[in-house]
Amino acid sequence: MTRVLATYNIKGGVGKTSAAVNLSYLAARGGARTLLWDLDPQGASTYLFRIRPKVRGGGRRLIRLKTRPEDSIKGTDYLGLDLLPADFSYRHMDLALGGSKRPTNRLARVLAPLYKHYEYIFLDCPPSISLVSESVFEAADALLVPIIPATLSSRTFEQLEELVAGGPQVLAFFSMVEVRKSLHREVMAQLRARHVTMLGAAIPSADEVERMGVDRSVVAEIAPGGRAALSYEALWWDVKRRLDAAGVRDGVRSSAAGGSSA
Amino acid sequence: MAPDAHDYLLPGRVTLEDAGELLGGRLELREGETRSAERRFYDTFDGLVRAAGVEASWEAGRLSLTGAGSASGAGSGEVLAAAELAEPPGRLLAHELPPGPLRDRLKPVIDVRALLPLVHLESEVRELGVVNAEDKLVVRLALERPAVITRSGRRIALRPRVRLFGVRGYDEELAEVRDALDDDLGLPRAEHTVLDEAVLRAGGVLGGVSSKIDVDLSAGERSDVAAAAVLGRLVEVIEANLPGTIADVDAEFLHDFRVAVRRSRALQRELKRVFPPAQLAFHRGELRWLQQVSGPARDLDVYVLDFDEFRASVPEQFQADLDPLLAVLRGRRLTARREMVRELRSDRARDAITSWGTFLARLESLPEEDRPDAARPIAEVAGERISKVYRGMVRMGRAIDASTPPEAYHELRKKGKELRYLLELLGAPLFPGEVVKPMVRSLKSLQDVLGRHQDREVQVATLCSLAEEVSALPGGAAALMAMGLLVDRLLIDERAARGEFAATFHEFAGREQRKLVKETFS
Repeated sequence: MTRVLATYNIKGGVGKTSAAVNLSYLAARGGARTLLWDLDPQGASTYLFRIRPKVRGGGRRLIRLKTRPEDSIKGTDYLGLDLLPADFSYRHMDLALGGSKRPTNRLARVLAPLYKHYEYIFLDCPPSISLVSESVFEAADALLVPIIPATLSSRTFEQLEELVAGGPQVLAFFSMVEVRKSLHREVMAQLRARHVTMLGAAIPSADEVERMGVDRSVVAEIAPGGRAALSYEALWWDVKRRLDAAGVRDGVRSSAAGGSSA
Repeated sequence: MAPDAHDYLLPGRVTLEDAGELLGGRLELREGETRSAERRFYDTFDGLVRAAGVEASWEAGRLSLTGAGSASGAGSGEVLAAAELAEPPGRLLAHELPPGPLRDRLKPVIDVRALLPLVHLESEVRELGVVNAEDKLVVRLALERPAVITRSGRRIALRPRVRLFGVRGYDEELAEVRDALDDDLGLPRAEHTVLDEAVLRAGGVLGGVSSKIDVDLSAGERSDVAAAAVLGRLVEVIEANLPGTIADVDAEFLHDFRVAVRRSRALQRELKRVFPPAQLAFHRGELRWLQQVSGPARDLDVYVLDFDEFRASVPEQFQADLDPLLAVLRGRRLTARREMVRELRSDRARDAITSWGTFLARLESLPEEDRPDAARPIAEVAGERISKVYRGMVRMGRAIDASTPPEAYHELRKKGKELRYLLELLGAPLFPGEVVKPMVRSLKSLQDVLGRHQDREVQVATLCSLAEEVSALPGGAAALMAMGLLVDRLLIDERAARGEFAATFHEFAGREQRKLVKETFS
């Protein structure tokens, strides 16, 4: 049974890519066959894994099922973790989706042949509300939403829950946390009290997370046993627990498996 | 199995450190872990895991299924699925694994067969990675100094080797590394994977023990020589499967044992004129007895193995109610097995098999006056028998209509088994494949329909006979209700099989097919 998890936030620079890379690494390290699809045309995940940002035939043909995702997948340096790389053509993905039938189930249909190969598929999403994000909502079992504990966080969270109502599970977690800041502590306390789907683990603002871009590696290798590495482990444990409790969304797989290829 | 050309042998006395330096002079390497690995490899008795191009191994509390070569569709050495298992298992069936990816991947490979310990390997491993200009790992290397630990605890050192594992999407880089090892360093390619080499050095057989009968026959050879060759191979299969049958390792041992006995009996009947009648009568009686004493246990194996299908055939709300029936079937199976094992361990069983083998070995040297077919060419005798049994089936099938009692279907099925064994054991090696293969296919379709008809008939009778025992158990009343539904489904399927008979029989016995059989075998 495959779980599709998307790291998503309307805002950029909140720790989506760090979460996607570190959590997919932990999933694979735990023995699960894992794929990360870097959907962001900026290709930060792809860069971190030192892989060329290129899919065969470009994003448009991939989305239209003219090329097979399997042909563009690359193995990362970590056993059990593969990457479907970013491609600069993904910047036009909204247009490609807009020109196809039932655009919102397109990503799910691209992923359908991969379900038998992977236990976890992570989608590292670009920051936006667009057809791409709607397609992500349809493909994903859960959205992993990094939230910086600032004044408008609660509003962001509520908007998102409204946006995906009836869709994937929303699992939000605090990201880039500075516990010395009283504002961060206050906001975290407020949000945790109000939202049951707020995960317990929080990712600190830490040097090793920032070093990921320099060392092009995961925090577990940059600073094993460090605060960030332990936080991601706690977060992954919490995510798995919630996923197991929730089961898989009905209809996601079946709607993706059905329908003719365009 | 060829190791996908990914393993290279190192000089026998080289240390892993020296080997790393040797490779580092030619390749851009990243240092990995150096560790001692203790792995226990598993396969089924008949080598299904190896045949699927994968390896099953236990290491440090984890059972993994790993790609062994390109046949698996995965990069060599890649873990396809794994599950936590605290201790190395002694014997493991797929359904005994916790639900999850390993069970999902393993079940289609091994089905009802058990994973059994194959070889125990201890290795000193130094992991290295070949990296590209971006410092991205593109090929994994393992320098390995392996040793087999035999069942008696003896340690046999194998030659150290370099193992190459491809990284998905970097095939060109893998080819370059292979070129470097082949041409620049001149390392010899390993003939076997490290697992295969370990199996061979431990005295095992690559690919496990097969129950297939693939005896080469030539059309002109004496019929008694050909019969002894095929039947001798069947004796090997009977003997190979007997210990696993007695120990109840998995249900396939008993199945393969019985198929080999049944095939032997079919050839005893069909080729009876190559044997001296008096001695043949004795051996026929002994094999019939082996068949009889193992029958009830096999029937109950099938009920227990297929129980999930039974369960699924009744509406969902009644499925759990069938548990008392399963308990009764399991209890009866144990009793039947105890009785079978007692018989199969007896002197009579041992003598039945060995004396038959000895008799076959000296068959050619026996006087020929009461064996009129002994010296005739096997193709002639086999062709006659195939032709005759086929014609007999056509006659019997034509006499079947809607009012025919079930016994006639049963008799036709028995005859069909006889023909199938003749075709598989003698037809396939002696006659053109383009005739034999489609004939076996159409026969199988017909046998499937006849088998379903017969099985449903027997299953209904069995369920009725168990009703009293089931009803006495807690939950018995509900179980009887569910069994009633089950009986109803089985009767519907029996009628459906009857309905399908005419079409499948027509395919098997049509004019073209009859003409082909006449031209080929007569």
